[in-house]
Amino acid sequence: MPNLTINGVAVSVPEGTTILSAAKQVGIHIPHYCYHTHLSVAGNCRMCQVEVEKFPKLQTACSTVATEGMVVRTDTEAVRKAVRGALEFLLIHHPIDCPICDQAGECGLQDYYMTVGLHKSRYPLGDKIHKKKVQDAGSGIVLDAERCILCSRCVRFLEEVTGTRELQFFRRGDHSEISFFPGRPIDNHYAGNLADICPVGALTSRDFRFRCRVWFLKSAESICTGCARGCNIEAHFHEGVLYRYKPRVNDAVNRAWMCDFGRMEYRKANEARLLAPFVRENGVEKEMPWGALMPQVAQRLSDAVRTHGADTVAVIASPQLSNEELFLVRHFASDLLGTMNLAFTRRAPEDGFSDDFLIHPDKNPNSAGARLLGIPGEEAFHAVAGRISRGEIRALVIFGNVLGAFSEKGTLELLSKAPFIVQVGTNEGVVSRAAHAVLPSASFVERGGTFVNCDGRLQRFRAGFAPRGKARNTIEILVDLGNRLGAGWSFSGEESVFRALSRSEAPFRGMTYGSIGSLGREVKR
Amino acid sequence: MSFSLSEEGLAELDRLLSRYPDRAAAVLPALHLVQSEHGHVPDEAIAWVAERVGLSPAHVEGVATFYTLFERRPRGRHHLQICRNLSCSLMGAEALVAHVSAKLGIRPGETTPDGMFTLSVVECLGSCGTAPVMQVGDAYHENLTVEAVDALIDRLRAEG
Ligand code: SF4
Ligand code: SF4
Ligand code: FES
Ligand code: FES
Repeated sequence: MPNLTINGVAVSVPEGTTILSAAKQVGIHIPHYCYHTHLSVAGNCRMCQVEVEKFPKLQTACSTVATEGMVVRTDTEAVRKAVRGALEFLLIHHPIDCPICDQAGECGLQDYYMTVGLHKSRYPLGDKIHKKKVQDAGSGIVLDAERCILCSRCVRFLEEVTGTRELQFFRRGDHSEISFFPGRPIDNHYAGNLADICPVGALTSRDFRFRCRVWFLKSAESICTGCARGCNIEAHFHEGVLYRYKPRVNDAVNRAWMCDFGRMEYRKANEARLLAPFVRENGVEKEMPWGALMPQVAQRLSDAVRTHGADTVAVIASPQLSNEELFLVRHFASDLLGTMNLAFTRRAPEDGFSDDFLIHPDKNPNSAGARLLGIPGEEAFHAVAGRISRGEIRALVIFGNVLGAFSEKGTLELLSKAPFIVQVGTNEGVVSRAAHAVLPSASFVERGGTFVNCDGRLQRFRAGFAPRGKARNTIEILVDLGNRLGAGWSFSGEESVFRALSRSEAPFRGMTYGSIGSLGREVKR
Repeated sequence: MSFSLSEEGLAELDRLLSRYPDRAAAVLPALHLVQSEHGHVPDEAIAWVAERVGLSPAHVEGVATFYTLFERRPRGRHHLQICRNLSCSLMGAEALVAHVSAKLGIRPGETTPDGMFTLSVVECLGSCGTAPVMQVGDAYHENLTVEAVDALIDRLRAEG
C-alpha cells in the first residue's frame, strides 16, 4: 500500500494504482480525455499532466503508478500552463460549433475550457483543417470527424470490448481523422456506448440527437428491463418524458456498458401508454374514474369466487413486475382470491438473441425474482391457459401485455373464452384490446422496486417521476384492490412492501434497501 | 472480392505471412507488395490484405494512409517528388515547386489530366549535399535548376 500526498493530502492506495485514481479517491479531479476507467491506458491526450517531486518533467497521471513517498501536485503554475497548452492544441482545428452540437452541456472540451483553458484562440480561422461532418457511422451513431480530439477511446472500445474494430485513425498529423472503412460502418450490438464514452461531440446518438438539451435532464438510478442481465443504468428524463438510458458502472454486472436493444427500451415509457382506466362494455371502451372502477372490479372478482368457486379465477403475473409487486400479487391470488391458478408468463424473446457478453436470451428483468417468490412459471401458465381455453375461468387478472408465445390472434381467441378480464398494464397491446377493465400502471421510471437478475443479484430501481396521466403505481393498485377484498394492507410505497417480503421470504431474509445499495447484492440460495 | 495479386505476388505473400509469429506484422510488406504490382493501393486491396493479415479493413486503411509512401489513388506514370526540407528549401525548392506546378498546371498532390505526371512535395530525401533534389521513380535528380527540371520534364514527356 504505497502512501503518497497529492496537493498535500495524504492518501494510501493499493499497489498499481495510478496517480489519477489515487487523486480521485481524495476528491481531486485531474482533467483527462483519453483515460477511461474500463479501457486500457493510452496516455495520448496529455490533459492529466501533474508535477511529481524528483521527476524532471511533468508526468501523465493516468499512466504513472503511485509509489511510496510520492509528492504530487496538480495545482502548480507549471501544471496549469502545460494543461492549458494541451487543450489549446486539441482545439486548434476544432470547429467550435457548440450551438449546433448535441454534446454541448456534457462536453469535455467545454468543461475543461472553462476550468483550465480560457485561452484566446491564436489560430487563424481560415487555416483550420476541415473534416467530414454528420456521417452515418452505422448502428445509430453519427460521426463528426472535425470535433474528434483523437483520444482513441472509441478505437479501444471496439478493440477491447466488442472486438469488432470498425473505427480507426486514418492519415497522420493534423490530417488524422477518425473514420470507418467505406462500406464497413460500425456494426455491433453495443454501439450506443460509443456516444457515451466519446468525451466530445464527435460520436453522438442518432436516437437522442437534438431531442433535449442535456442540462434539462434529470436522472434516476435504474435497472434495464430489456433482459435478465439487469444492466445498471441511469434513466434521463424531463417533464414526464423519458429521453434516454446511460449505463451506470457496476463491475459485478455490466461494467460500464449496456446493449443497444436495452438502450431503446426507454421508449416503452413514452409510447402507446395506457393513461386512463377504462371498461369495455359490449366492445366499446368507456373511460371510468378509479374511484368508480375499483369497487366494480373487486365486486366482479369476489362474485366469481363466491358463485363459481376460487378455481374459476386465475391470475397471470409477469416477470416485468418487481419483487415487491410479485409478492403482493402472490398474496392477492393465493390468500385473497384463494386460487391455485397463478402463473407468470414471459415476454417471448423478441428474437431470442443472446451473446456471451451481456445480452441474455430471457427478455425479462425479473424471472429469477418471480421464481424465488414461488410464483410458478411457464408450465403452470400452460395449465392456466388450458383452463381458460376450456372455458373454466370466469374471471382473469392479467399483469402486462403478453401471454407467452401466443400470437396476437391466439391471444384474442384465448381471451374470448373468459367472461371477465382485468388487465393491470402500462402499454396498449393485445391484452388491453380484449380486457373488460383496464387499470393503467406506472412505467419502470415512474415506480421503484427491485429485480433479481440472471445471476441471482438483487438490484434496485428508483422512480424518476410521478406516473403519467391517470396511471397508478402497481403497488397502489394492488393494495387498493386487495383491501377491497379484505386484505387489510397498510403498505405505502415499495420499501414498506420489501420490509414485509424480507421478513417472510427466505432468499431475501434480513435484507433492506439500505443493504442493497445502488449496486445490488446477491440473494441467498 | 475481385482483387488479387499475380501468382508470384501470392507466393511472396505466403512467404511473408509465414515469416512472422503474428500475421498482422506482415501488413506493411503486404501493402508494399500490392503497390509494387498495382502502382498504388486500390480500395479493394485494403479489405483483401486485411483478411489475409487478420486485421480489420479500418486498421489496414489506417496503416496505408499513415505512411505517405503508400499511394491510395492511382498516380501518373512519372511521379515527381520534390524535396521541401531545410537544405532544399534554402537552395530554392519552393521556386522549383512553383515552376513545375505552373508548367504542368497541377498543384502538389495532383496528377495531370493525361495521367503522365504526379507532383508531390516530400521531406528530406537524404541528399542535402546536392540540394535541391527531386526523385522521379527510383532516380534522384540533383543540384536542380529551373532549366534542368524543364529539360527533364520535356524528355519524360517525349518518352511517354
Ligand atoms: S471520436 Fe470521440 S472517442 Fe473517438 S477518438 Fe475521437 S474524440 Fe475520442
Ligand atoms: S444486456 Fe439486457 S439488461 Fe443489459 S442493456 Fe441489454 S437488454 Fe438491458
Ligand atoms: S488522460 Fe492521461 S494522457 Fe489522456
Ligand atoms: S533537405 Fe532535401 S534532401 Fe535533405
